[in-house]
Order: sequence, then structure tokens, then C-alpha cells
Amino acid sequence: MTKKAGPLFYVFLALFVFFVMFPFLWVLLSSVKPLSELFGDKAFNWLTSHPTLKSYISVFVNYPFLRYLWNSTVVATVTTVYTVFVAAFAAYAIARLEFKGKTVILGLVLAVSMFPQIATLSPIYMFVKKFGLTNSYLGLIIPYTTFALPLSIWLLVTFFRKIPFDLEEAAKMDGATPMQTYFKIILPLAVPGVFTTSILVFIAAWNEFLFALTINTAETYKTVPVGIAMFQGQYTIPWGEISAATVVVTIPLVIMVLLFQRRIVSGLTSGSVKE
Amino acid sequence: MRNEKRMERLLGYSLVAPAMLLILAIAIWPVIQSFYYSLFDYRLNDPTKSSIHWSYSLDLEGYLQNYPFLKSALKQEMAAADGQTKQTLAQIEQKLAKLDAAIRSNDQVARQYDKVNEVLDNFETPSDELKIAELDKQTAERLTDTVHDVVRALKEMKKAGELQQADKVVGLAEGLEGVVIEPNFVGLKHYKDSFSDMRLWKALWNTTFFTVVSVAIELVLGLGIALLINKAFFGRGLVRATILIPWAIPTAVSALMWKFLYDGQNGIVAHYFETIGLVDRMGDLLTTEAGAMFAVIFADVWKTTPYMALLLLAGLQTIPHSLYEAASIDGATKWQQFTQITLPLLKSSILVALLFRTLDAFRVFDLIYVLTGGGPANSTETISILAYKVMFSQTNFGAGSALAVVVFLCVAIISMIYIKWLGKDLLSDSASVKR
Repeated sequence: MTKKAGPLFYVFLALFVFFVMFPFLWVLLSSVKPLSELFGDKAFNWLTSHPTLKSYISVFVNYPFLRYLWNSTVVATVTTVYTVFVAAFAAYAIARLEFKGKTVILGLVLAVSMFPQIATLSPIYMFVKKFGLTNSYLGLIIPYTTFALPLSIWLLVTFFRKIPFDLEEAAKMDGATPMQTYFKIILPLAVPGVFTTSILVFIAAWNEFLFALTINTAETYKTVPVGIAMFQGQYTIPWGEISAATVVVTIPLVIMVLLFQRRIVSGLTSGSVKE
Repeated sequence: MRNEKRMERLLGYSLVAPAMLLILAIAIWPVIQSFYYSLFDYRLNDPTKSSIHWSYSLDLEGYLQNYPFLKSALKQEMAAADGQTKQTLAQIEQKLAKLDAAIRSNDQVARQYDKVNEVLDNFETPSDELKIAELDKQTAERLTDTVHDVVRALKEMKKAGELQQADKVVGLAEGLEGVVIEPNFVGLKHYKDSFSDMRLWKALWNTTFFTVVSVAIELVLGLGIALLINKAFFGRGLVRATILIPWAIPTAVSALMWKFLYDGQNGIVAHYFETIGLVDRMGDLLTTEAGAMFAVIFADVWKTTPYMALLLLAGLQTIPHSLYEAASIDGATKWQQFTQITLPLLKSSILVALLFRTLDAFRVFDLIYVLTGGGPANSTETISILAYKVMFSQTNFGAGSALAVVVFLCVAIISMIYIKWLGKDLLSDSASVKR
């Protein structure tokens, strides 16, 4: 950590950041271009002399984009709350209690998190179709359990394990039941971990594409990723609107990432690094 | 003390139970079902194959919407005809009546028969369970044969101009042709067909190529970036946030963004690639086979290298700095330090990152579906894309499920190889060690 960063380092860093951000930058610049400058000679100009918000207005007026945003919010929020709730109990037991078969259960959780979605798609599709759940929120929330629950359990187990065992021992000495220990000692200490897990599960559910594409095909139930991907028409692709929509969905993400970057990184790397 | 242990165990199992039941029901059961589906000729757009049948059965709705009307139509024709025609018609009528009696000879079928009739009389639609009656093989074959004969005979009579309402009669008879539902169990036929089809091998090759190349590039770049930013510098948090953004945005949205940048006429990245000579013409990026594969890999590298870098950075930060100090005192060069300290100590981080990334890349769907749709000429069609197309574009659920099972098996094999390398590290119960 004592290595000093020289000027050359900052040049590399700036280049790297530029490459990573370039697509966003270009999409942002394109989103304010008038239609005529998106095509032809002016397509490669960085800046437009006639900035306009037409594309943004069109996204909300000509497409049910608000509806997509709402659908994604509902589906991702409910998925997150319910899976993290169920996972918290399981993760507590796996991390803190002594019983046979824990390693097998954790192995199973990890294995399921590696399942390719396509392998569960046809039975799940038949299931939601049979129960009339296509084009409904529940029709996505149920299948999203397949990836959200293993992810939550896996992350929460690592967070629960980090809580010092002494506290629990002390509570036990004082005669607290395991349930009391859980609610009074573990849970308050686990709040940051639960929060991090929730962010990651929320992002995973928000970004999901395959189930959303097959199950919710009606315009009123599409989620953001599917909605934007389906902007492309048969012959023309409305790049202006697509750019504007991309900017609209990216800005909240940028804010979230800036606010919670430490937590997200700790969540992403937990379980992969042995400390 | 023993009692307490038992209580703890019981509590443990009951806390884990809800999550396990959900995982069993929503993740593991569907995989088993996928395999089960793959053994059938299961098609959504074909009413006789839109569910799984082990045995012969009869679509009573179709049967009763035709047979009674055919019967009365035949009677009318008989009344109007004479001589040879009348006799033939009578024979046909009798044949069908005998067949009807045979169908009704089974009590269970007869009960369903009457119920469906009642429902149809009320101009309602019978439920699927009610309208499908199980049939023994003999009757089913007899029904098929008889209907076949009847249709042929009626068509001949129609040609000869012996019928008054020829179209109606023939139409009703033909309506009986689809009422027998044959068992659609095909065993491993879908697997045999898939593996003898070049398209599957091409998709497997595309998937493997995409996975190996993109993960290798991501590893090298990610390691480089992790080493670069593994130090204190100004704006560290901001850089970390920046590299999280590509990871955080939906893959489908980033794929669309790249489609814009790669566009053959207006895409800025395509334009720059042409300028620096990476491609001959802008349009080549998405319209040639090599160009499309390159475009897909480039977009994937852009999106997931930051994730790789973060995982490796976390690994780097666990290496004690004192090791490097000791090494440099002993006169080890930077390169020696890298190969002797960094790489060995980073091994498990690298393997874990590789495992996650390899599996993700192998399952790739969103990126390719949106960016190229598998084209041009299936050159970027991965196995997940192929399975999806077979299932939902060709509505062939049986064959699609077989492909999905192939993806599953590949993923299982890849994980097993990695887990073997990783040893038990991944699952080690550090909690009990600390106790």
C-alpha cells in the first residue's frame, strides 16, 4: 500500500476510465442530438450544436417506458424482500448452528446458483402458463427465486460468519434462546450484510432478461431490459430513443453505485476471497 | 447438554427447510422436468402434442363435434340416395356406429363421453382433463383405420357426384382424423437428432470459443487492472465506482448500446475500428461471421473485465505486504515477486473468479440475443440461444429441452473440473474452524 502513484499511473488510469465510460458518454451525447444528426455525415460528431430533449420526451410519450420502470421496480423489490427474508433464516442456521449436512446444503445452494437458466425455462414456462401467471408480476417473481435465493443464502452465510461468536456465547450464557440471540444480537449486527445482499439481489432481479422475455410478453408487463431491447422495430432502430432510455436507466444505477460502492464490492468479493 | 444439541439441530433444520423446499421446487424440480420433457415429442403449436402422453387417448371434444353431425348427415344422404350409394352409405354409418359402441364400451370413457356431450350442448368448452379420454391401443388403431377408410370412401363418392352435401360430409369425416392422440414418448431421439445435427456442434463450438477467448482476455486485463489499482491513489473510490457501472447495467441494455456503437452506418466504434484498420469496412463488424464474433467478445470483455478486476483486487489485498518487502530485501525482481508471491497466493482467487466467469460466459444469452440474435448465418449462435430458438421460435419444447439439458450437463462438467482444482476451499466451513 505504500507504493506511490506516479504521473504515468494517472495517465493509464485516465485511459482506462475513459475506455470504460466511453460507451456511456457517447450514448449520453447521442441522446441529446436531433434526429438528423444521428445519421449520415454528422453521426460521428461528438457534440451537437442543436441539443434537444426530443428523444427523452418521445421515450415517455411514445413508449410505455414509465410502465416498464414500474414493472421492474415491483418485480425486483418483491423478489428481493421475499428471498432475502427466507434466506436470512437459512443462512443464520448454516453459519451459526451446529447440525449435520450443512456442507451438503451449502454445496447444493452453490450448485443451484450455477444452474443455467435455460435448463429450467421450459418447465417454469409451462408452470406459469398453466396457472395463468404469464403477464403478471408473480409470473416473474416465482422464477426469479431460482437465482435470487441461492445468491442471497450464499452472501448472507459469509456475512453471518463474520459476526464474532463471543457475543452469541455470552447471550447463551445469559440464558437467551437461539431465537432471542438471532433477533437481539445477530440480526442488528447483520444489517449491513443484509443490506449489501439486498442491493446485489435487486440488481440481479432488475437486470434479468430471459424469463422476462418469455413470460411477460404483453406491453403492460414488460420489464425495463426487455422493453428497451424491444424498442428496435422490424426495419428501423430508434437510436435516439434507445440512447435516451439507456441514460434514464443508467443514471439511478450510477447514483446507487456511487453511494454503495463499498458495500457492492464487499458483496461481490465475499465468498470468493478467503480471509 | 445433549438435549440442547438436539434442539439446536432441530432449529437448524427447520430454519433451513423453507429455503431448501423453495430451491427444490423452483430450481431442481424444473431441471428434472426439463430432462423428462426432452424424452417426448412435445410441441406447443400442435394440439395433439401439446402435452405429454404415455398412452393413446381420444379427444372427445373433437370427436363429439363431428361424429353426431356426421351421423345425421349420413342419414340424410341415405334418405336421398338409392341403390349402390345407399348401401355404401349404410355400411359407413354402421361401421362408425360400431366404433362408437366400442369407444363407449369402457365405463370411464362413456361417463366422460356423456359429460362432454352435455357441456357441448350448452355451448361451453370442456376442460382439458374432461375431454381427453384414455383409449386402449386396439380401439385407437381401429378408430384411426376406420376414419381413414371412411374419408376415402366418402371422397370417392364425392368425386362421383353421389352426395348432395358432399363438402359437409367429407369435412365432418375429416374432422375425425385428428381425434386420436398418440403417445409422444420418443426416448433419446431428440439427443440423437441433436448430436447428428451440425447446428448443435457449431453452437457448441461457438459457445466454447466465446467462453475461452473472452474469459482469457478478461483474466489478463482484469489482473493487469487489479495490479494497477492495488495502491493508494487519489480518486480511488471514484475509479472503483466507474468500473462497477458496466457490471451493474442490464446486459440487454449494454448489448443494445454496443449495437448502436457497432452500427454499420452510424456506429462510432465501428467508424474508429475502420479508421485504425481493425476492420476493412464499418459494416463488417455485424455482418461478417468473424466480425460478429469479435464484436460479441469485445462487448463482453468491456462489461465483465471490471468485475474480474474487482474479484482479483480483493484477492491481492489479502496478500501481506511484508512478503514483498522481504522479497525485495532478498533482491528479487518485480517479475520474480509477481511469479513467486502474487500468482501462487492469488491462485484460489483466480480460480474462483474463473469459475464464475466461465459459467456465466458459457450460459451467455442476453448479450448475443440482443446484439446479433445469433447471426449472421448462426455464426454467433451459442447453445443457449439455439435451445431458446428451438423452444420458442419452432415451439418444439421436446427438442429444446434436450438442448437445455445439454447446456446443463456442460455447465455441470465445467463446475466439477473447477471444483476439483479448487478442492474443498470453496465450501470449507470456516465457522466451525473458528470455534
